[in-house]
Amino acid sequence: MKRTIVAAMGLATAIVATLVFVAPAGRTQPYDPPVVPEMARDTGAGEMLVVVLGPVYPTRAEAEAGNAQMTFGDVAGYYVVPVAQFQGFKEQLGAPGDFALVSVFRTDEGAQEFVAFAQLLGYPATILPDRVRSLGGLYAGLGQEANPDGSGPLTDPIPASVP
Amino acid sequence: MAPKAGSFLRRRPRRALPLTVVVLLGALLLVGWHWGKLGWGDMHYNYPATPYGYSQIVNRFGQPCNSNASAIWMTWVASDNGYSYTFRFHKKLGGYPTRMVSNKGGTSTNLDNDVHGHIQNYHLSGYTKSGIWGYLCRYIAGTTKWSTHAWGIAVDISSRYEPMGRCYSTTNKYFAYVFKNHGWRWGLDFCDPMHFQYAFGY
Repeated sequence: MKRTIVAAMGLATAIVATLVFVAPAGRTQPYDPPVVPEMARDTGAGEMLVVVLGPVYPTRAEAEAGNAQMTFGDVAGYYVVPVAQFQGFKEQLGAPGDFALVSVFRTDEGAQEFVAFAQLLGYPATILPDRVRSLGGLYAGLGQEANPDGSGPLTDPIPASVP
Repeated sequence: MAPKAGSFLRRRPRRALPLTVVVLLGALLLVGWHWGKLGWGDMHYNYPATPYGYSQIVNRFGQPCNSNASAIWMTWVASDNGYSYTFRFHKKLGGYPTRMVSNKGGTSTNLDNDVHGHIQNYHLSGYTKSGIWGYLCRYIAGTTKWSTHAWGIAVDISSRYEPMGRCYSTTNKYFAYVFKNHGWRWGLDFCDPMHFQYAFGY
């Protein structure tokens, strides 16, 4: 009887010891984060761009707060920019305000796709009738549209965007 | 006074036999048709291996936003509002002709035939709700890294009910296993329960 008890205690001790040593090892397995290239923040300075316009706000804080209310899932949506960032922008705004939620594109197709997406989510999105000239400044979404030749993202100026 | 229910069967069991046989056969045929669903079958044809990490995604599916990433389209009806969402995805994940899917130039049966077919046949369509989309040439929000949507290898379902940042699921949990069984990763792993992607380590 004593032998059985001793054997059982030994087995239990071995199991506990194994768990104590193995469990932390399992938790600390080396984590290999994916290597993902960061894309350059292309502002398209000097280019003529298509603007998809969301709401316009009087202040940056209000614009940031408004943008935070629009969830696009894991994909990027609007960007907060000062109205003065684009030449010819203020003249086309229907509402007063110094900060706007926008996403800019080099192609009409890219802008239309984004409008369709935003409207599917129930968010306001309007393509401004005329292209505006980027004066640089904050990043506003360039590079996130397909190259018309089908090769991948459009990351360079195209004839329509060169003044 | 009306005869009691079942009295016919008790009084004339032999006459009731053919009727019973006919009813049973009819039921069997109905069940067969139901499971057959006009010929739908889980084909598992030509699935690409699920990639791990950015390099494998590019090797297998090409550059973000390339023309293959949005080559195939399908329509998915949301159960809550009845809206038909048409979205695009990569040609390696569907578009191969089957009895359920017309020839769209795709190379496999994964998403539009097998995953969608399973969800329909298992009566799980009621859990796929509004806000359904696929290909989008966009970065991950707040970053300049490509979203898996840019390769057409991600689908968001029930977006209005399964917001990003919530670490539990209310409706997608009922059919997520179908995606998982077909090589997809469920975004609940990283608190994005609307999101399903055909990639790991990204």
